[in-house]
Order: sequence, then structure tokens, then C-alpha cells
Amino acid sequence: MGGAVFSAFSFLGAPGWAFSRGAPALYIITYTAFAILPWYIIGPKIGAIGRKHNIYTVAGFLQLRYSSRVIAMIIGIVALLASIQYLATQMKGMAYIFNIMTEGRIPFWLGALLSYGIVVVYVATGGLRAAAWSDVFQGILMIVISWTVGLTIVNQLHDSVPNMFRNLTQDNPGFLQIGAEGSTMSTMAYTTTILVSTIGFLMWPHLFSKSYATKARTIKKTVLVYPMFALFLIPLLFVGFSAVNVIQSNQIGSPDEILPYLITTVLTLPGWVYGLVGAGALAAAMSTADAITHSASLEFTDGLIRNVKRDLSSKTTLLIMRIGVFVIGGLAYFITVFGGQGLIALLLGAYGSIVQFAPGVYGALYSKKITAPAVITGLISGTVVNYYFQLVADAPPLDINPGILGLIVNVGLVILISAFSQGKEMPMAEEYRKIGS
Amino acid sequence: MTKQKFVKIYCLSLTIPFLLLVFPLFSIANRETPFIIGLPFSVFWVIFWIVVTFIIVLFLYRIDPDKDEKEVH
Repeated sequence: MGGAVFSAFSFLGAPGWAFSRGAPALYIITYTAFAILPWYIIGPKIGAIGRKHNIYTVAGFLQLRYSSRVIAMIIGIVALLASIQYLATQMKGMAYIFNIMTEGRIPFWLGALLSYGIVVVYVATGGLRAAAWSDVFQGILMIVISWTVGLTIVNQLHDSVPNMFRNLTQDNPGFLQIGAEGSTMSTMAYTTTILVSTIGFLMWPHLFSKSYATKARTIKKTVLVYPMFALFLIPLLFVGFSAVNVIQSNQIGSPDEILPYLITTVLTLPGWVYGLVGAGALAAAMSTADAITHSASLEFTDGLIRNVKRDLSSKTTLLIMRIGVFVIGGLAYFITVFGGQGLIALLLGAYGSIVQFAPGVYGALYSKKITAPAVITGLISGTVVNYYFQLVADAPPLDINPGILGLIVNVGLVILISAFSQGKEMPMAEEYRKIGS
Repeated sequence: MTKQKFVKIYCLSLTIPFLLLVFPLFSIANRETPFIIGLPFSVFWVIFWIVVTFIIVLFLYRIDPDKDEKEVH
């Protein structure tokens, strides 16, 4: 769990945000610490439902509760769209690492292509089984790397952490204040960014599905150790802060490149450190990328394909899933190379649509009144609103995160329509509510 | 303690530190000074409440009525 969550974004995006935006980067440790907490309560419940009815996807979970094929089909499509964006963040991260660590010998497009190849081969042949071990290995590696490398960089540039912050607050007053004059983020944007990530986190198909495969006790223990992970991100933020006023932003192509840039060009570190950091970041990106690709393909097949064509043999289903991996990877590659957004912008965009699953999921777990038409309308409207304010509109009203705007519309519609519609047949409504609580 | 009561306590006691880390309540800490253990106040505040949250969750796990519950299949 920890491993799959530490992704290219935390390794590159967190220092990048600290470097270019200052205090708003604190959002990353806040949401990392809190987003897992609801899992303690809902994880065992989802697990019990899934094991009883042999479900293994979000689409399947909602389809059974609302007895609606349409819901499953929408989930399949939205999961696919969001996962492509998410996968693009990982690919972009890997491409940066290849590029900078080889001092430009592997160009960005080739680095992204290499990552695409690795992920596709890995998922299409091995599936998820190999990931468990690499997760543990990766978790430890990341912790060691982030602290040693982080503190080394800070000490070489500023002598010590207090010194670094003293320099920073002297030279850039307001940089560590959210919503202050010259700040890169308003208070509303900060809060709603945290909200979208915190609520959306457990809705990701690859994490949601972990509930089925994990015992209640293990789920609870995972939640216990989880806030620690947030603390491991702290030195990565420090790295970003330490580069302010030391590195000019035109020296690097994108703020996301700040960590590898510092390691390779500013510092004189032994070669093995390069290798270690490169390996850690690649492992991080890879384990997330394979989990997300696999589960996106699974959701799409289980949610959409199976409901459109209901008489598929399991052999054909497997084939479609494998083709799905290629397609998802290919589309993500396209966004990686031609899309201009930074890592966190991509990630937040993906969260904005995935968070739209929340009303349906929590409605299934805790209410018997929520109906299928309500969830369908909410899901579609929320997703449309999110993409509209992400891609079409200039700026969202009041600086609210587009995903949260979508969620507000979504929740409103779910409550309203549920009040005015009768569930036709909802044999599972009461059972879902009762299992495991 | 019943399971429902535990869920209520769980949600309430973790919502409090969360609210302290987002606006409007985060305004209390949204400043650079005073420096505490070498960290600007806002950075210290976020780290402090994450540590507190960690301790709260540890405590909640101890009082969880069915942490030893057998898996129901």
C-alpha cells in the first residue's frame, strides 16, 4: 500500500512545488497523512462485501448495490480517463529521471517510451503478483533516500535546515504564507486541493480493490503506520525550499526536475548516490504505474466491456484486458509527450474525476435511500463539471478546485434525486449497509 | 463499547486535527514566525499535527472493540 502510493509525483512533484510555489506544497504532507484514515472504517466493510459476493472492482461493487449496469459502465469509462492522466504523471516522472540522470543522453520522448515499454511488458506478462515484494523494498529505499539525500542537499546549500528557512524567509517574505501577497495559491484553492485528494484517494480503483484482498486486521495496521509516510516526504519538501534563490527557474526545464537537477549538477556526490536515487524514483513510479494500469484495464473490462457484450468467454476477457494495457499506456504516453502540464497539475486533474465516485460508494456503504438514477446523474454531472473547469474554463469560481466543484454538484444531485426517486429493486441496499458494521 | 460508538469516536477525533490543517482554522498557523525547532511556524504546525494524529490513531487502535475479531466470510 505504501509503495504503490509513493509515486513519481511525491518524489519529483513535491520538491518541485516547494521550489516553485512555497507553502502550498504543505498540502502534500497533509493529505498523505489524512487520506488513508477513512480506510480503517470502510476498508474492512468493503472487503467483507467483496468477499461475500466475489467482487473485485469499484464497478462491480456499485453495479451490485444499485443493480445498474449503466453505473458500472460509467465507472469503467471514468476510471479509464482518470487513470490515463495518473499514468501520465508516472511516465513523465520516469522520463525526467532517465533524461537528467543520463545527462540528456536519453531524450525525454525516449525516456517516456522506455517507461511505457517497461510498464506494458510488466503488466501484460506478470500481472500484480510481483508488486508486493517490490513495494516493501521500495518503501524502505524511498525512506532512506529521502532523508539522506534531502538533508545532504540542504546542508550543502545552506549549512542547516534552520539556516535554510532563515534565508528563505528573509529573501522571500510571503513565500511560506498561503494566500499572502505574492503567494502562489489562495486559501480556498489550498483547502479544496487538500479535500479533493483526501476524499479521492481511497476511490482509486487500485487502492479500493486492496480492501478485498486484505484482512481487516492488516487494513487497520496499515492505517496505523501510514501517517509516518507523510513524515518521509518532509525532507523532499526541504530540498525544494533549499533550491529557492540558489537555482534560477530558467536553469531547469520544469520545477519537477529540481531534485534530480540538484543531485546531478549542483552537488558533488559519489556516483552510487545517483544510482540509488534514480533506482528509488524509478521503482516508485514503476510500482504505481503497473498497479494503476492493471486496475484501469480491469475496471474498463469489468465495468464497460462485460456489460456491453455479456457473453464473453474468460479467454476473450483476458485478451481484452491485455490489449487495454497497451491502449491505456499509449494514450498516457501521448499526454506525457504532448501535454504541457506539471506533475501535480496532472495528478490533481485525475483526482478531480476519481473523487466523483465518492457519493456512490459512501451511499452504498451507509445509506439505503440512495438510488441508481441519482448516482448516475451525479456521477456524469460531477465529471463533466470537473473536466469543464479543468480544460475549458479559464478559472473556477472562487478558486475552488474543479474536482470539488464537481463533487458539490454531484452530492447535491444525488441527495435531490434520491429523495424523489424510488429504487426499483435494490435487494442489496440493506445488506451493504449492514455487512461489517 | 459498541462498534457504532467506536466509529463515531474515530471520525470525530480525527476530524479535529484535519480541520486545524485546512482553512479557515489553518489561518492560526499561516505565518512564518516564530521559528520552532528551526522550522517556520506553518511548517512546524503541519508536522506537529500529523504527529499528534499518528498518536491518536495508535490510541484508537488500542480501544478498538473488534480489532481481534475473526474474519467473517
